[in-house]
Formats: sequence, structure tokens, C-alpha cells
Amino acid sequence: MTHSTKAFYWMAVPALLLFVVLHTIPVVTGMFFSLTDYAGYGKWNFVGLQNYVSLFKDDRVLASYGFTFLFAITATVIVNVLALGIAMLLNARIKFRTAFRGIFFIPNVLAVLIIGYVFNFIFSNSLPLLGQSLGLDWLSTSILANKDLAWLGIVAVSAWQSIAFSVILYLAGLQTIPAELYEAAGLDGASYWRQFSSITFPMIGAFFTINMVLALKGFLQAFDQIVALTNGGPGTSTESVAMVIFRGGFQGGEFGYQMANSVVYLLVIVAVSVIQLRTLQRKEADF
Amino acid sequence: MTTTTETASSARSVTPARGLRRRGRLSDRVNWPLTALAAVLALTVLIPLYLTVITALKTPDQLGGSGFEWPSRVRLENFSDAWNLTNFPRALLNSAIVTVGAVVLTILSNSLVAYAIARNLHKRFFKFLYYFFVAALFVPFPIIMLPATKETALLGLDNPVGLFLLYTVYGLSFNVFVYTAFIRSIPRELEEAATMDGASTWGIFRRIIFPLLTPMNATVGILTCLWAWNDFLLPLVILSDPATRTLPLAQYVFQSQFNTNYTVAFASYLMALAPLLLVYLFAQRWVISGVMRGSIK
Amino acid sequence: MFHLKQVRAKALSAALAAALLTSCAAPPAEDEVTLSFFQFKPEAVKEFAGLIDEFEAANPGIRVLQNNVPDPDTAIRTLLVKNKTPDVLTLNGNASFGLLARACVFADLSQEPAARDVLPAVQDILNANGRCSGSEINGLPMANNASGVLYNPELFAKYGVSVPRTWDELIAAAETFKANGVAPFYMTLKDAWTTSPALVNLAAQLQPEGFFDRLTAAGADRNTSPVSFSRDYQEVADKLLQLFHYAQPGAAGVDYATGNKAFADGKSAMYLNGSFAVPAIRAANPDARIASFPYPVTNNPGNVTVVSGVDVVLAMGRDTPHRAEAQKFINFLMSKDVIDKYAKNQSAFAPIRSAAPQQDTALRGLASYFTSGKVDGYMDHRLPPSIPLVNITQQFVLDGDKSRYLNTLDNEWFKVAARMPNRGDQQ
Repeated sequence: MTHSTKAFYWMAVPALLLFVVLHTIPVVTGMFFSLTDYAGYGKWNFVGLQNYVSLFKDDRVLASYGFTFLFAITATVIVNVLALGIAMLLNARIKFRTAFRGIFFIPNVLAVLIIGYVFNFIFSNSLPLLGQSLGLDWLSTSILANKDLAWLGIVAVSAWQSIAFSVILYLAGLQTIPAELYEAAGLDGASYWRQFSSITFPMIGAFFTINMVLALKGFLQAFDQIVALTNGGPGTSTESVAMVIFRGGFQGGEFGYQMANSVVYLLVIVAVSVIQLRTLQRKEADF
Repeated sequence: MTTTTETASSARSVTPARGLRRRGRLSDRVNWPLTALAAVLALTVLIPLYLTVITALKTPDQLGGSGFEWPSRVRLENFSDAWNLTNFPRALLNSAIVTVGAVVLTILSNSLVAYAIARNLHKRFFKFLYYFFVAALFVPFPIIMLPATKETALLGLDNPVGLFLLYTVYGLSFNVFVYTAFIRSIPRELEEAATMDGASTWGIFRRIIFPLLTPMNATVGILTCLWAWNDFLLPLVILSDPATRTLPLAQYVFQSQFNTNYTVAFASYLMALAPLLLVYLFAQRWVISGVMRGSIK
Repeated sequence: MFHLKQVRAKALSAALAAALLTSCAAPPAEDEVTLSFFQFKPEAVKEFAGLIDEFEAANPGIRVLQNNVPDPDTAIRTLLVKNKTPDVLTLNGNASFGLLARACVFADLSQEPAARDVLPAVQDILNANGRCSGSEINGLPMANNASGVLYNPELFAKYGVSVPRTWDELIAAAETFKANGVAPFYMTLKDAWTTSPALVNLAAQLQPEGFFDRLTAAGADRNTSPVSFSRDYQEVADKLLQLFHYAQPGAAGVDYATGNKAFADGKSAMYLNGSFAVPAIRAANPDARIASFPYPVTNNPGNVTVVSGVDVVLAMGRDTPHRAEAQKFINFLMSKDVIDKYAKNQSAFAPIRSAAPQQDTALRGLASYFTSGKVDGYMDHRLPPSIPLVNITQQFVLDGDKSRYLNTLDNEWFKVAARMPNRGDQQ
């Protein structure tokens, strides 16, 4: 082994070891305990695949997947549509562009949990008063207390907080588009929509893909904002998968059972991401 | 992730201003309707912040209305109350330790690992390493939450030091990805010349590569900073000693103990949000261009 | 920019690994003993801080570190998963406590001097909840609560309403207030658990004898079970819903703290809560007018009981390295003076023989039931903690779908019974 090769190994191997200890081993032990009835402490027995069988019969767990997907897909679509719009707005010939860009990025530097507390107050106190004075029934009580609407409150706060990041990525994408393309299109008399669909969108396809994947993956793991806004309620209507794992695994004392849930969750996320990447990249290629 | 490939020379000339230059100059006429639209949208960001600030300044009896009214009487004691009740200086210090530790350690170590990988991707081991780290991007945190909680406590890492170590290690997935792409765009001639002059691999990293990585280090540093400072779930499960609570955790505890005291609560939210907000206001251009660069690479 | 010597650069790559080791080492070299004290009640943080000061002053060399976290049942298990059982803890004497005691997490306190003074009936309830082995006592009750209807005597007098002794009288009283534009009850549905005081009282008096014993004996088979929620909780659900129909507008978005303030300010005539809410109500308004009566669930006043449970259990980590100091602290907290003071300040019932009687006017209506033993246990203490009872109940009072509610309870019960027959901490 040459001196320089040795150095490269010295650079990488300690990090690999730490990664294995702090990430890989937890993943593997987690998978192992999914086959047991471990409470996280004390004695445990092997139960084979029983946890997995129970999991598919547990409507609370299934409901949490339903909620998580509904929430994540809605939030991803909203965030990406709005973020792309805002990015194009910021890329247009507007005044105070830098200031606007600075303002739009603010939510991204704030802690989701604390933002959640602020919005909790707005939803529970300010908006109902507004709703009452406008005579809007659905707004005159806290939407977080409405089991059909609470999830929209969570979507709103999540979108508010995370749009900024997507905007920045789209802006970066928009700035890679050569201005000459638009000039040519402008001379041809192409409409705004035509310019968007045949120049802008195809040119930022890769950014669209990465934004969609990152946003969906992030929202599928939602936790902080839900703790701050509804804590899973009303009832259990806004319990995300991460929340069920946290609560059931610790409070419920069903560590092993929730590990089985986690393993399924891992598979679901990997599957979703792969499918998403495949279809979006195929789309990209089509343009 | 990348359709754009930049050469090292252009990478080196990247300045924050580059990304800001407006695209094309068909006409310099300002589009006022769009400016107005942007202003309206900006309000959706500013109004909640406005509400946070004015609520933090009010006396409890002014909370009666919709909450958006300007405070008629300012109560600054909200801040001193929140300061004491959340043990603010302690939480601030803890957050600072975790964040600074995570940022410094991440930049120093992750760039080094990425350098080793980027220069050896033709070797099986390093190729494996690359995919091993990047694949972990898809592992959701909840699957390691319970076992990692147990294991870090077993290793005596259920404290701020362990926490920033975890950020550093878990950050590898994403950071190796972005650093490697960047390093591969740096021509090897520089290193070859340095090797001729007798520089070691470590020396090359320190004197040539690391300085060239400055824009990427800024990007990684910013993203790590935002993550470590604002994170809630990881500190919630990892930290055992109440004296080591970070700012979001302190807010969480405060919320359960004093949740009717809205004015003090908002003062405490504001104090928890303020440090990063202030840093951002001063370093705004730099932060945004840093994040943008991360996406182009 | 960072300038590192080549050797140091090498060390850097190993620094990550080194951090692992350094943080394990270096235990604090002090001759002072620090007790970790897990304290689950957010509203009693100040109270315990005062007691700790007193204890530390009398016992130089022992420091007590109070740890109060939201969601204590989750937090305590997080500590257990980490193998960091606190030296001393307070917990609610609920099902979760029983499970932990059964898993032998807590030390045996049966030989403590303080154990001899505990009211035997209270200790029995706690022991029946779960313990490590037959003769052990894994927790000492420090304070008991009593769940009842709190009311505003001024409003009752103003509208000529007397304290209801039957269900019909309770509903009539509610109607009277409603007709006069006064909210009969102030409901705080944003906090799911505040649906539970009414539920447990209705269940205690309406469920068939031995309901949970028979349910437990039925195992995992719902079809052959002689009892079920769907069959035996119909009246409980009906009456629960009837009470919650009186919720003030917007109750779904109101939290407990806001409710305390509203009741304290006379915004409702009654408040479906218990002794534990009294200090919080008084904190919101020191002049609050509070009195109480037990839930009249049927039309036979002779059936009336008060649901009471151990509000604060003191326990000690089984393998605490500071056993002597922890014992000292527990015996201090269990001393007559402390218990009397705690009961007075927190409006609790003292579960020890030597205690002074509860003089609080707010609790007078419940006190006689407590002392004469007309007491029932909390029905939710019989449910495994992995069933989110309060959330399910919250959903029910919001949507009013009775058959779904009861079906969900059955479903959750038998689902958990099926997957935990021989769970680790069930043994």
C-alpha cells in the first residue's frame, strides 16, 4: 500500500466505524428487536413475525400511515407549486428583489416546534375571532380542534416553514437557464405559459425532482410541528407514523412492536423514494 | 441532482453575488404588479412574526382581541420572566455548544472523508463507502430512534457532546454526497504538482483542497447549523440531564408548565428564535447563496 | 481557515472516535451525592423545589436534581430504555406505574419507616396495580386525588340551584344554568385527558361488577368474551355524551389552562374535573369560588361514590447507587409535615394515618366520601397504556359516534391482548 493510499484509508475508516456504531448498528439491532416482545428494558422473548402480523391488523397504525401519506403528499404538492411560483416571481423583474428573497427565507431559519406553538395560538385564538367577525362558521372555532380540518392546519404550518428551502433550490435552477432561450421565445411571440412549459420547466427538471423527493421524504417523517400543533389530536386523527413509533415505543412500552413498525416504515420510504425518482427522472428525460 | 457541471476555475470564482445577477436584460423596466404580489406574499411571512413580537410585548389583559392589535402598554418583564423560567442562558449555551460543535466537526471531518472517497471512487472499498453513506439518506430517523437512544446512553453519549457527534455522523450521508461532487470537479493537476513537490496526502488536503472547498464548507456549515440549532426530536430522546436541554427542548418543557401565560410564552419563543434570526439578518446574502450552491452541485 | 500540522490532521480523523471515549470517562469527583429526582407533575414543580431546598438544608452533602418533563409516562420509559432509572421518582399511580412495578424497575420500600403510616386501603390499591413480587411495596402514596364535579357556589346560590344528588337533578341544574345564559360546564376538549374525569366516574358507577376482571380473563378472543365495551358501556357513553352536549361554543379549541382560568373567573357554573385542578384554578385567580360534589351518576343517591386514585406515588430506582440518600429523601417526603403541607397546597388527600384532615372548602363535598371509604378506583388504570383511551374518548365527544367509540375500545383492548400475552414487562 502506498503512503498516499494509506492516508486515504486513515481519512475514511474512522468515520466509517463511527457511522457503523451510531447508525448501522442501531438499524440492525432495531430490526432484530422487531422480532421480539422487548419493552426496551427487562426481559424479552422471541415472537417471530408476530409483531408484523399484529401490525397489519392494527388500525391505529394503519390510520397513522393514511394520515402521514395524505399530509405528506398534500404538503409536497402545495410546497412545490407555491415554491416554483415564488421562485419565478423572485426571478422576474421586480423591485426589492434581494429584500424579498431575504424575507421569504426567514421561516427556514426558525425552529418548527416554536413556529408550531406560535401558529397554535393563531389557530386557536386569532383566527376564530376573525372567523366570528366575518361570520365564517368553519373558521370560528379552532381548526386544530376539528378532526376533519386539523391536518390542513399542520399542512399550512409545514408549508409555511419549508417553502423557503424549495424556493431557493428552484431559484438556483432558474438561474441556470440561459437568458437567450427566453429572448428567442419572446421574439417568436410565445406566451408566458408556453415559455414556462417548454423552457422553464424542462430546464429545471432536475431541481423539480430533487425538490419533490426531499420534500416528500421530509414530510413523511413529520413530528415536531404535530407535537406543537395538535399532539396527534383531536382523537388520534393527526398521529404521524413517527409519532406512533415514539409514543408506542416508549410510553406504550411496546419497543419491539414499534420496531416492526419502523422496519415497515423504512421499506415504505425506500419504495416511495425509488418510485418517485424513477418516474420523475423518466419524465425529465421525456422533455 | 446535478445537471450543471462547473469546472474548478469557475467554482473558485463563485461569489455570493454571482447567483444574484438577474437573468437577461430584455428590459430593465420594473414589473410593478409582480412586485405588489411579492409584497402581499411577503406579508404571510411577516404577519406571524409581527404577532410573535407584539404578543411578547403585551400585558396579559391585552390579549382579548384578535391578537393583532398594537400593544397599548409594553411589558418588558415578559422577557425577564421568560429568561428565568426557561433558564434561558443555560439553554442558549447548550444550543450553542451543540451547534458550534456540530458545524466545526462536520466541516472538518466530512470534507476529509469526502476527499478520500472522491479521489478513490475507482476503488471498490471507496465506491462501497460512497453508496453506503448515501443510501443512509433514505433511512428514516424513527427506525434508529429507539435503538440509538439506548445505544448512545450505553456509550455515555446522552449529552451535548454525543449530540453533536451524532449530527456529524448522521450528516455524512448528505455531506459526502455534495462534497464528493464538488471535489471531483477540482482538477487533479494541482495535487499532482504538489505531490511532485513532496507534499503528503494530508498536506494536500490541508493546503490545497480544504481552501478550495470554502464555498462548499459554507454551504454545509449553514445547513448543519440550521439543523442542529432547530432540531427537536433528536435532543428530546438523546439528552438525559435536564441541565443540558437545548432551546427547543426548553420551550417544550416551558409549554407544559406555563401554557396559559401566553405573553411570557411568546417572549420566550422570541428569545429562542432571535439568535439565529439575527445571525441570518446579518449574513442573509451569504446564507442564501450557500444553500443555492448546495443545490447546484 | 484552519491550519493543522500534518500529525494533528491525522489525529483529527481519529478525533471522532476519541470523542466517544472521553465522554464516557471523567465521572464528577465530588464528595457530594446528587440524587436524580424525576417529578412528573408540572404544576407541582415549585412545590417540590421548595421541599428540596428544605431537604438539602437539613442534609448537607445531598443535592436533589428535579427533572420535570412533559409527557411523563413517555419520558420515564425513555430513561428506562437508556438504563438510567432515576434515583427517586414521583409518578401517577396509574396503569403505566403498575406495569413498571411489575417489571421490577422499582426498589422494595416495604421496610421503610414511612410505609407503616400509609392508609392500608390506599396501599392495597397501589399494590394491586402491580408489583415486582408478592411481598414487596414498590411505591408509597404521597398524595391522593378525588375526582368530582367542581362548582361555583355563588352561581348556584344566585340561580337557586342546590347541589344535585341524582343524575336527573344534575341535568336539571345544567338546564337551569343554560336557560339563564350561564355555561353549565366549561369544557376543555383541546386537552384530550380532560374528558377522562367524567368518563371514569360514569364508568365506576355504571359498569357491571368485575367488568375488567372478566374482560382480562377473556384473553384475546372478542367473540367469546362475556363482557365488552360495546355491550356494557352503552349507558356510560350515552351519559358522557349528554354531559358534553353542554359544552360551551368553541370548547374543542380550549385547553385545560384556559378552562381553569374561565372557571376561576366564574364563566361557568360547574367544571368536570377533580381535586387536582383546584390549585391550578386558584393560581389562575386567587379569589376563585370553588366547591365540589361527587358525580351523581344514577338516580339513586346511595350509589354515589368518589373516584380516587394515588395522584403522587414515590418510588426508588431498584439499583440506585445512592440507596441511603434516596431512602432519606423518600422518608422526608413521606413525613407527616410534608404530606400535610403538600395536601394543603395541592388540594390533595393525604394517604397516611397521622395526617391532618383535609380542611379545604373546595374539597369538603368530596372529603366525607374519601374518609368513609365510598371510593372507586380509576377505570383507566385497568387499561394498558398503549391504548390511547383519552384520545379515543376525545374523538367520541367531538363526533358523538357511540357505536364507533365502543367498537374502537373493544378493538383496541383485544388487539393489545393479542399482541401482549407474554410481553417483557407483563410478567
